Amino acid sequence: MSKIKALVVDDSKIMRSQVKRALDQLMLADFEYEEAMDGEDALAKFNDDIDILFVDWNMPKMTGVEFARSIRDKGYDNIPIIMVTAEKSMGKVDKALNEGGANEYITKPFTADKMHKAISSYFDDEGNIITGEDDENEKKSFFSSILNS
Amino acid sequence: MITEELKKADHIPAEVTEIVKDSVINTFASICGEPPQYLEIEDDNKEPLNGIIGNIAVFNPELTFSLMMAIPRETAMNISEAFIGIELPFESDDMGDLIGEIANILAGDVAANIEKIGFRGQSSLPTATRGSDLTLFMPNKPPTVKLKFSGVCGDFLLNMAMSESK
Repeated sequence: MSKIKALVVDDSKIMRSQVKRALDQLMLADFEYEEAMDGEDALAKFNDDIDILFVDWNMPKMTGVEFARSIRDKGYDNIPIIMVTAEKSMGKVDKALNEGGANEYITKPFTADKMHKAISSYFDDEGNIITGEDDENEKKSFFSSILNS
Repeated sequence: MITEELKKADHIPAEVTEIVKDSVINTFASICGEPPQYLEIEDDNKEPLNGIIGNIAVFNPELTFSLMMAIPRETAMNISEAFIGIELPFESDDMGDLIGEIANILAGDVAANIEKIGFRGQSSLPTATRGSDLTLFMPNKPPTVKLKFSGVCGDFLLNMAMSESK
């Protein structure tokens, strides 16, 4: 099982810990973590080694949606971007998925089960991350994410 | 209901209060495991708070709803145990972070639900204020409501003020 490098972006240290704890509980992969406290910090820490992003919305300096858009605009079309946010309105979900280019949307507070439903399809049985456009429709499970929330 | 109607109101409409009440109950049910009970405030003795206040606003360019969660020390400790599995030291920075995040979650729920009656707003960033002998004071007397709740995590209050955005 290879290491999966996750960048967890949230201005709350408590919430970054919650995301990491849920991911460790799920045992979908052998995660190692990089943390960032806002979108600008995340942009500075983002690099080609990052496999998956967990991104809050409401942060100082640069929002999560702006950060996600920046990543997509840099040409990283296939890296999974998971929004983990307190924003719940359908307009916000739509904005994150369409304007931001996020793949999934998890609302806070979340359980490990909710996290599992949102992200399990991004990992194979060996704990490797599945990226690529071949199964884009399967991964962009818009409606299941909404139902989970 | 639209923002213009709300701006003319001299009190917070019951419809808005009910939405916020439901959001508080939903938010704390998901955090503490059981929904808190809403309690009528019979004797508003304005006893100073020894605890922590989580502040956040749901706003648009015209109108702002300020939400202030007044959480006694013991309730805050119980919330930390329920939410993250450990009892955080009350004086720690993490406790402020936690209560701010809960204010953020509450505001997200309020913003989503209040949109259903036509008010489209967004959440501010949260802040938290910890101390003893704290009293909430509204100098310009905007319309306010005070809601009291009691649940498995303990008692707490939510003060809401409605004012024009400036």
